[in-house]
Amino acid sequence: MDNILILKIAFIGASITLLFIGLYAVLTKRNLIKIVLGLSIMDNGLNLLFITMGFVKHGTAPIFSPLVMEKLKTVDAAAQVMVDPVVQALVLTAIVIGFGVTAVALALVLRLYRHHNTTNIDEIRNLKW
Amino acid sequence: MKKLIALIFVLYIGVEMFFVFYQIPFGMDRVQSKVGKFYLEHSPKDLKVANAVTSIVVNFRGFDTLGEVTVLFIATTALGSILFRSRKVHNRLNSKRTSVEASMIVQVAGRFLVPLIVLLGAYVFIHGHLTPGGGFQGGVIIATGVLFLLLAYRQFSVNHEPITWIESLAGATFAGLGLTGIFVGKTFLENFLGTGKLNDLLSGGIIPLIYIAVGFKVAAELTGILDTILSISVPVEETENQN
Amino acid sequence: MVAVNPIYYIALPLFFAFLLPLFGKIHKELIRIVPGLLYAYFLGMSFYMLRHVFVTGQPYIVEIAGWKAPWGINLVFDAFTGLIITFISVLAFLVWLYSYRFKKVEFDNALKYFVLLMLVTAGSMGIVMTGDIFNQFVFLEITGLSSYGLTAYYRGRDGAEAAFKYLLIGSLASTFVLMGILLIYTQLGTLNMADIARNIHLMKPSLKIAAFLLLFMGFGIEAEMFPMNGWAPDAYSQAPGPIGAVFASMTSKAGLYALIRLTFTIFDFSSVSKLLFIMGLLTLLFAEGIALRQEKIKRMLAYSSIGQIGLIMVAFSFNTYLGVFAGIFLMINHALIKSLLFFSASYLAYNSPKKYIKDIQGFGKVMPITSFLFALGAFAIIGFPPFSGFWSKFYFLLAAAQKHYIVLIVLILSVSLVELVYYLRVVHKLYFAKPTGDYEPHSPNWNGMLAMILLALVIIAIGVYPDLVTHYIDKAAVMIMDKAQYIHNSLGI
Repeated sequence: MDNILILKIAFIGASITLLFIGLYAVLTKRNLIKIVLGLSIMDNGLNLLFITMGFVKHGTAPIFSPLVMEKLKTVDAAAQVMVDPVVQALVLTAIVIGFGVTAVALALVLRLYRHHNTTNIDEIRNLKW
Repeated sequence: MKKLIALIFVLYIGVEMFFVFYQIPFGMDRVQSKVGKFYLEHSPKDLKVANAVTSIVVNFRGFDTLGEVTVLFIATTALGSILFRSRKVHNRLNSKRTSVEASMIVQVAGRFLVPLIVLLGAYVFIHGHLTPGGGFQGGVIIATGVLFLLLAYRQFSVNHEPITWIESLAGATFAGLGLTGIFVGKTFLENFLGTGKLNDLLSGGIIPLIYIAVGFKVAAELTGILDTILSISVPVEETENQN
Repeated sequence: MVAVNPIYYIALPLFFAFLLPLFGKIHKELIRIVPGLLYAYFLGMSFYMLRHVFVTGQPYIVEIAGWKAPWGINLVFDAFTGLIITFISVLAFLVWLYSYRFKKVEFDNALKYFVLLMLVTAGSMGIVMTGDIFNQFVFLEITGLSSYGLTAYYRGRDGAEAAFKYLLIGSLASTFVLMGILLIYTQLGTLNMADIARNIHLMKPSLKIAAFLLLFMGFGIEAEMFPMNGWAPDAYSQAPGPIGAVFASMTSKAGLYALIRLTFTIFDFSSVSKLLFIMGLLTLLFAEGIALRQEKIKRMLAYSSIGQIGLIMVAFSFNTYLGVFAGIFLMINHALIKSLLFFSASYLAYNSPKKYIKDIQGFGKVMPITSFLFALGAFAIIGFPPFSGFWSKFYFLLAAAQKHYIVLIVLILSVSLVELVYYLRVVHKLYFAKPTGDYEPHSPNWNGMLAMILLALVIIAIGVYPDLVTHYIDKAAVMIMDKAQYIHNSLGI
């Protein structure tokens, strides 16, 4: 196996594993905080998957810094060795959105705790689930 | 039993998804995607922005970022609305964050470190178009400084008046800079200033300006969120008006 | 082109939502007035632009940051999206009017309500107009997060629980959507919907199916499709009254729009319409069946709303001009009529202490106008002739007959019978049962009444002169069926 294949299996495997550990937690855990943690883990797995897909062999960060420009002279040559910037930009957006969702989820948990004095989902069933 | 079913279900979909993503070509010699190539080429040439991610976040896909800032704004608003309690109840509870005072080492270190943390955050968002980082990252760094203060000093509380002002004005600056593009005869969020030279601090036209506004907004919003969540005490005997 | 621009639908609500806390410091009444002025402006702008698109046939395409479509994000205001935007603007204005003084709340809470209201409408409009699939995801999240906030708006009720449930399912939906977007991006290297549609045949078939299913599931959850709509009745019944109307008329319609865009424009499967058909029919039967057994009025309306979504999906799945025509007509009618029902029902429920249907008996005498408007809405949604609901059901049956789906016609008619039963049950309680107590009910204030009467007038006007909208629907139906035209409009090729 060459290095790239190992990297591929490792990164895709790790991110998918994270994603589905999160999903498992969301599906089975009864504690509200743990469910929110599960959501957060899912987000992170997905973000890792995004970044993985932008990988370029021997690539560098997509920044045309003076150092890079000095070494490679032209913009086109520098662009050849850079990883995909689009997925990174998308992940930045996804992280912030994930943060917002987590914050609201935790606030809801706080409210539920205030009312029911528990974080166990089985004891908070005023509505049908 | 229920857990077992969930486990099998999750494992099955997980393996399926792994093989779906396994089919995608990985580790090619250069960027494959059409738009990725375009952005890498045009970010330094047309926009004179060294950090291609910044130029995508603020210019090419700047509309997403406006949405993103809005998501944070919604989160603070919704948080306030969810955890809001009337002044009367709030004063009665006289909320305290922690029961123990932080040690002197933490307090002294905090006094020394917090200015540096804020400085670093400001540096990160001002140089967002040149170096890794940007408005979001810088804003988060500043908010960690505030978190340090909140944890180190029990009495420390954030004054919400300036936070509201910064939040509103920074957000309006972002949207306003975008709208200015329309009024000067270009399109929304299009650059209407000179672009300068690649790798200069003053380059990229409105891109650094927008990122600075984002930095202020994120810092203010995160500070607000931290303060809202941390100042909520959850006393067991509380009975709120169950209208 | 400074006065009208589709970008204003999103940029201005964001701009003013950011500034609204500061307006509140100048004068407390401004936080109520500013959204209203904005919505009034949108109303005028929508009619002007829709008229312009209708007359000239030229859509409004906006490129953001000056980059042409596949490179930058674009907004499309054509005959189809324009029509939906126009109806969202109408309803947004009416929702604002209705909730102008909905209940006495503290200043801070009113401020948050109006901020979230502005952002939920902006998010729905963004989902409809944007030509970029990742941007659509961002707007989905804006809509979602503000809906969670609004669902948990009231303390004391079980709003937080409903909102948490909504948030869980919504987060799963957004994870699915993101994975689908990632698959498409890695295969085609673009995020623009028109560009994806143009190149979709280049995708590996197995990945294409995976991406489609992920996106379909994700947007289907937002559109309240069958297996994952458990959140909807709770969210509808726990949210403030006008927000139920927002969910029924805007957020679910935006999700539905995304589904339609997905099946009609982006993907090129021939079996997609079968999937849409089956899911729609399941949604319809499931929801109408449950609606029959509901004891609470708002939950009943919520299930009825889900059922209507199923009906609309079935209409679109015919994949014929007439089917799409009926689908769009149903969408508009459902948005209008369900809003009226939610508006009036929220006052009926407000006055019944336990929110049960049996508590509202005799309200026909106590609150004559509200009860009358509710009854009017009920008859309209079942599809009685003088109202707009009649025409959409009529066109739907026509479309089904054209496809020779005799069993389906029988099925839809029997579902209408079920609807008749559960709506008549409420109307019967309103008018033909004795009032239980003799207490002073909270009547709707003048602005709520005005909003409801305006809606009722629109419903009757469309019912009497269906030509008011059918010309526009005709253009919209042609537009959604014509994939090449959409690609041409967005990319200029």
